[in-house]
Amino acid sequence: MRRRKGKQNLKLLLVNLVLILVCFVTFVPILYAFSVSINEQNSLLGSDFSFIPKQVTLENYRKVFTEEPVLMWFRNSLLLAVSTVVISLGTGVPAAYIFSRRKFPGRNVILQLLILLYAFPSLLSMTALYKLLSPMGLINTKVGLIIVYTGTMAVFALWNMKGYFDTIPIEIEESAMIDGADPIRIVLKIVIPLAKPTIAVTAMMVLIYVWNEYIFAINFMTGESTYTLAAGLYSLQANETSGSWPVFSAASLLVSLPILIIFFAMQRNMASGLTSGGVKG
Amino acid sequence: MKKSDKKKKNGILVSYLWSAPSLILISLIVIFPILYTGYISLTNMNVYHWFNYDLIGLQNYKEALLVFDSGFLSALMLTIIWTAVNMIVQLVIAYVLASLLNTKGLKLRNGYRTLLIFPWAMPGYVSILLWKTGMFNSQFGLLNQWMERLGFSPVKWLADDLSAFICCTIVNLWLALPFMITIIDGALQSVDQSFYESALLDGAGWLKRTWYITIPSIKPIIAPSVVITIFTTFKQFDVIYLMTQQAGAKTGAHIHTILTYAYENAFITNNYGYSSAVSMIIFVLLIIFSYAINIKPKEES
Repeated sequence: MRRRKGKQNLKLLLVNLVLILVCFVTFVPILYAFSVSINEQNSLLGSDFSFIPKQVTLENYRKVFTEEPVLMWFRNSLLLAVSTVVISLGTGVPAAYIFSRRKFPGRNVILQLLILLYAFPSLLSMTALYKLLSPMGLINTKVGLIIVYTGTMAVFALWNMKGYFDTIPIEIEESAMIDGADPIRIVLKIVIPLAKPTIAVTAMMVLIYVWNEYIFAINFMTGESTYTLAAGLYSLQANETSGSWPVFSAASLLVSLPILIIFFAMQRNMASGLTSGGVKG
Repeated sequence: MKKSDKKKKNGILVSYLWSAPSLILISLIVIFPILYTGYISLTNMNVYHWFNYDLIGLQNYKEALLVFDSGFLSALMLTIIWTAVNMIVQLVIAYVLASLLNTKGLKLRNGYRTLLIFPWAMPGYVSILLWKTGMFNSQFGLLNQWMERLGFSPVKWLADDLSAFICCTIVNLWLALPFMITIIDGALQSVDQSFYESALLDGAGWLKRTWYITIPSIKPIIAPSVVITIFTTFKQFDVIYLMTQQAGAKTGAHIHTILTYAYENAFITNNYGYSSAVSMIIFVLLIIFSYAINIKPKEES
């Protein structure tokens, strides 16, 4: 019995060691970036680099704010993200509700079509979007980008929230209907409170998408002042030199911070709010 | 009778009205551009013919599908290899790590889990750029600093095809594993423990238990997520583009997935007609793919 316990302990020790190693390997790029960003002497080209900097400095973080128009990029990103969330959820919630609850002609065809559209990467219609937006004067404007982002996310929002609405029992609404409440009241007072987790997670996914989108942003926007954070960061690293790398790593970590906070705050809701797109394999 | 008919009609009207904003948005911003891409694919639109392009029929499709040198078919091959390699390695590693997390008596389980899913929470493009500049840069990347310390000469990690492919795979695994670990971990938790107890009584070894109990039990649970991951791996753009072929900063490796190939033809060499044809072919492939694995709205099963 005792020997068995000893074996068990040895096994646990090994498992712990492997997991610690894996966690460390996972964090190497982030730790390295962090340590470069706070290192006083950037002896990057020498081989005497160590993870723990000899002299700590916040100089690189100061540079991010003083030498790059980061605050403007931040404002642009925030504006785009909030607009996209509002539009795609404002249109998505009623549509998802109807597709979950009502049967009407064309419903199944539309659902099938939506799943195909979900598979289509918006990157592939970039030329067409450019060609369509440019005569309307919407290239190099925030409105243009909001249009592109909303379209992409509208499919996801509708599909994801419909999957969640399907799991809410219809009986609650039916009894409210018998009591004579009108549909808009039912949705506002009963359905939306019940669907909070999926609305929150969908909003988060849309927000993260816009926050992280760089390829449309760099192709449709010209000029530093119109950049989003992602486009700005991309342009920062494009002149890849050992001198700009500490500033870039500081900026990277700053940009990631809000997303990290949102992600870990929402983590508990993730499993229930994300319905895997309501698909079965 | 008539009254209920009217009511039904009214209901349909209401349904359309409620879903109209979303559907109009999708039609204008998603469907119309796809159709327009189809139209552009039939023209010779490029940087010289931005306005005065002509319809040239299926010429672009012929070039993509029949001319091997055009590069589309080899990009397609590479994409398939990329997807297969990534999925297999990812599933194996995720399964092993999830099993380790489920070791009986592991006290720090939640701590490890939180650390392991961290890459998922980082913005994807930031992680890729940190890997590219921080780890793989040939002058001041961490890997080459280590190489130097060990007495080797620095390596240009992203300069040749095979090593760039491996580097991209590592980065993609780093990005994708947290999701897969979470899914498999959740599935493992739901396996009925009494199966194992009776199997242990029968004297079944670890391999047998894995093969006959664990894998069949978790398969249906993880299947939808695996399918979605296959799709995202197949459609992967960011990793390969940011690592090896940013505009003006190509690293020398020439690995193309179909998406980076379409992008390069559109926005680097400005061959819009041809790139649109490639886009349409990819779209058709994705449609065939989703029918082949039988993705359907849940309720219709």
